[in-house]
Order: sequence, then C-alpha cells, then structure tokens
Amino acid sequence: MQFKGVEIRKLSETMWEIPREGGMRVPGLIFASEAMMGDILRDEAVRQVMNVGHLPGILKYSIGMPDIHWGYGFPIGGVAAMDAREGVVSPGGVGYDINCGVRLLRSDLTVDALRPKLRELVAALHREVPSGVGSTGFVRLTAREEEKVLTEGSRWAASRGFASAEDVAFTESGGRLPGADPDAVSAVAKKRGRNQLGTLGSGNHFLEIDEVAEVFDDAAARAFGLFPGQATVLIHSGSRGLGYQVCDDYLVTMADYMRKNRIDLPDRQLACAHIHSPEGKQYLSALAAAGNYAFTNRQLLAHQARETFLRFLGMGPNDLGMRLVYDCGHNNAKFEEHEVDGEKRRVLVHRKGATRCFPAESEDIPGAYRHVGQPVLIPGDMGNASYVLAGSPEAMRLSFGSTCHGAGRRMSRTQARNSVRGKSIVQEMERRGVIVASASHKTLAEEIPEAYKDVSEVVGVVHDAGIASRVAKLRPVAVVKG
Amino acid sequence: MVEVRGVDLPDLFSSCVLALFSLLVDRRTVREAEVRSAEIAGDTAEEQLFFLLREAFLLFAAHGYLARNAHVTILGKQVTLTVRGELLDTSRHPVHREIKAVTAHAMAVEKSPDGFLARFLVDV
Repeated sequence: MQFKGVEIRKLSETMWEIPREGGMRVPGLIFASEAMMGDILRDEAVRQVMNVGHLPGILKYSIGMPDIHWGYGFPIGGVAAMDAREGVVSPGGVGYDINCGVRLLRSDLTVDALRPKLRELVAALHREVPSGVGSTGFVRLTAREEEKVLTEGSRWAASRGFASAEDVAFTESGGRLPGADPDAVSAVAKKRGRNQLGTLGSGNHFLEIDEVAEVFDDAAARAFGLFPGQATVLIHSGSRGLGYQVCDDYLVTMADYMRKNRIDLPDRQLACAHIHSPEGKQYLSALAAAGNYAFTNRQLLAHQARETFLRFLGMGPNDLGMRLVYDCGHNNAKFEEHEVDGEKRRVLVHRKGATRCFPAESEDIPGAYRHVGQPVLIPGDMGNASYVLAGSPEAMRLSFGSTCHGAGRRMSRTQARNSVRGKSIVQEMERRGVIVASASHKTLAEEIPEAYKDVSEVVGVVHDAGIASRVAKLRPVAVVKG
Repeated sequence: MVEVRGVDLPDLFSSCVLALFSLLVDRRTVREAEVRSAEIAGDTAEEQLFFLLREAFLLFAAHGYLARNAHVTILGKQVTLTVRGELLDTSRHPVHREIKAVTAHAMAVEKSPDGFLARFLVDV
C-alpha cells in the first residue's frame, strides 16, 4: 500500500508501519484492518501521523488507532509518547476537550423491567441533566470552590456529597490528576467553566441508557458487575469551556515558545514546548486542572442521572444498585512508566482520541479489577453499539498501554446534515428501537449513526491486535443529547 | 471552513467577526443594545485575524455577548474591534451549535480580484 509515494509496510493483519522519512524521528504505526486502511489512506490523518513523528523526544512510534481521522496537528486517534527529560508536550496532542471521556454505571435492573416506563424516564433525564449550548449546572460555584474542583477533582464532589468513595476509587487516577495548579488556568478559562460544571454539552456528547446485549468474557463481565439484559448508563462528556480555553491559551503560548526556540515542525498546529520548560510545566499544571474539572463534571452528571432514576422509579439506592464500573478519559497527556529498548523509562504519553488500557496486575487500576485488567469504554454511534473492553499486556508492548476511543467519524458534520434533509431522525431512531431526546435537530443530524465508522470493526482490530479484549457489547435503548 | 470576502482588510475582518457570530445565532434576532470593543495586535494579516476572532469569540464564550454589527479599524499592527449587540437571552437567541475555539488551521487572508478573501475554521 502507498500513501502519496510512501510505501506502507504490513507488519500483521492489524498493524501497518510508515517508514521514517525526512525529519521523522520515529516511524509511524497504524492499527487497522486491510479494509480500513483503504479509507484511512484517503484521509490526511496519515500525514499527521508522519508529522507527529517529527516531535522532539518522541519514542518508538507515532501511533494511530483504527478510529483515526484528521484533527488539528495531531490526528484524532493518535498516541505519542515522549521522553520525560528530553521531550515536548503539545496541547494539540491532547485536544481542545481536555480529559473528555466516558463513564459507565451499572445497575441491578434489566432493560425489560424498565421498558414500560422508558419514555418517561428519558424525558425526566432530559429535564434533569443539563445539556445543550448555554445550559448551566445545578451547582453554583464561587471562584474559590472552582479552584478546589481544579485541584481535587472527584474528591471535591465527594466532599460535597455528590460522589461515594466507590465513585472516586473507580475513576481513572482516583478522579484526581496530580500537579494541578489553578493559577496556570487563565481567568477567562475559569469564567467559561464556572457555570458549566455538571452539564453534558452538545455535539457528540451524550447520556445513554444501554442494554448489555452480549457478553464475550464472563469473568471480566462479572468483575465489572455486568450481565446480559442489564440496564446501564453511559455518559460521554469532558471539561467543557474551561478545557477548551486552556488548550486555546496554551496553543498561543507554545507558538511563541517555538518561535523563540526556533523549533521547526511541518505543521504549526503541533505547537509544543519542552516538558521541563516553564511553558511546558505550566501547561501540564493547567492540563491537570482541566482534567480534574472533567472528572468532576462527569461525576455530577452521574449523580444527576442516579438521582433521577431513584426519584422516577421510587427505589432505594441498594435496590437500584447503580454503581460506577469505570470512568476513563481519552484526551490527555500522562506521565507513566513504560519499557523502551528493554529499559523502564518515564515518559509522557499523549492520547488524543485514544484510551489508556492497562493490563491485569497493574497498580494503577482498582484492586477489584487487577485480576482482569482495566475496563476500557468505547462509545460507538447512537444507533448501534458501544463496547466494554479490558486492557492487556500487549498494549504495554505495542502502544504504550493505549487503544482506540470510539467509532471515528467518516462523514463531516455538513455531509451528515445534508444526508438527512427532510427526514425525522427521532422517528428513524425509534424504528431502530432507540428513544432520543435532544434539544437540537441540527446536532442530531450531525450525529446520525451513518456519520460514524462501524465501531464493531474498530473494536475488532484492537481485539485482534491484542491491545484490548472484548468484554461486553452495549446496545443503546435511549439517548439524551444536547 | 468559513470563507469571507471584503473590499479591504477592515471590511474583511469585520465581516469575519459577523460570520463567526452567525455560526452561533441568527444575528437578526440580536438587538444593538450595547457597545463593546476590543484591541489586538499581530505581525501579519493572518495573525491579526486569528487574534481578532479569538477575542470576538470570547465576547460570547466568556461574557455571553452576541454581536449584531461590527466595525474594525487597523493602524499598523493594532486592530480595534467595535461591536454592537446584546447579552445572550436563550428565549430569543437559540444557539445553533457549541463552538470550542477559533483555530489557526488553514487560516488564510489573500488578495482577490474584488479585494480580499479570508478562510478560517472553528472547532465544534
């Protein structure tokens, strides 16, 4: 296969190498099936994988996951690990929506038991969970409280009674990224975020009621508290306007840094700074702060969802059994230890539209999961499926403990809107068995299932590559969107 | 990708600001109740446009302000924006979409047969 004159080398049925050329410091590595590579090679994301390979301090490979598609600078579905001493950090390698991620709640209910009341329950969730542009959260934050959210993350939510100890324990990094400094977050970013805590957002963010449609790994499913026919809640959201502004602010800072330090890269959207420069350290502190905001945001959304279920169904918490399976981010840069050339090395792993997936025995995952591996939550489109996977040792060897994050778009938003002109998406989704509640027809049109790649294919690749294994398939029965 | 034309740079830049607000709301619903202004500086036309649109976007994102009309003056590297509009009222201003940020990706300011052409992309 070729990409604009560059010969792509097939390493296996699921792995493709882009050889080093020009200023690339490392080769590129794309996880994909042969069929998917046809589409991927038509996307500028391949060029972006190559561009990322130019970054100072990058190690082993510039990696693309099977849901890869074009982004700003870094592709979405990109992973790049930098030497912690010599390497750079890049806001484009994280994305605007810092620590955007997914949270899965399990319950003791079946979807069949919910079905007679499902439409009213969805209407209640749409009323109670703030979504859409301009929505505000139920918590009124002072500037001081907001700073606590930025430093403490989910622990702040627990101190206010919005999270249990279990919620905190089953969130990635215990719901709190270390090193957060509110002073590294601009006043404008804080202003953007202050009224948005506990809001879903819009676009591809959602809250779904999903049914566990299929279990592939009984032991892992049992460990995660999942069973066939079960009603679960899946939440996809991030750091809202605060995170977007942090990224925006530091892209400007780093563009200045690159000019002053004469760092020359093929794409200015790869703006970066050395990890140990003042600019790099400030960004990492702001990144942690925005990441903590995102964890807190998803915690409050989960709290609202739980409270709505309890009130609407007239059940007690023990009967509902709505507990957190896991919360994991897919836009981040984290310091981790990985083996490079036979040695353990401290690296900064950028994951932009890619999810951490640590294996069994990892000390960085909850004790209850150490015999099966970290839960990995992969949302698909609103009509078909999402998946729960488990991390594997091969991920540590091949992809710095990383895997895909979703289905990946295959149609632009404009193409998607044009394809459904005159049609009722809500009716079409009901025909598929999914009740949809959304404030915006435009957003819904942009999020139609056909706009996305087949998530089962994407998950199939990471499973076959051995970097994450299938545990359960979730089927949406109701979707709340902004 | 948003493409905007203007007869000169001030006209182009003010049209870009209005195009940005048109991505957010139907500007015909916005009253000219309040005037706000902002100043930025840039070494090139693209840089000036980028910083100008960032500042204009923050009027909405951080302050909930919507512009109905805009006027731009340029003096060397300095660009001054004056906008007339009002604060967002969700009962009268249904917002079309959530914009995360104005990006520098593929941003361009070029001469055209009728004056100038600009292109910019926002992250949604």
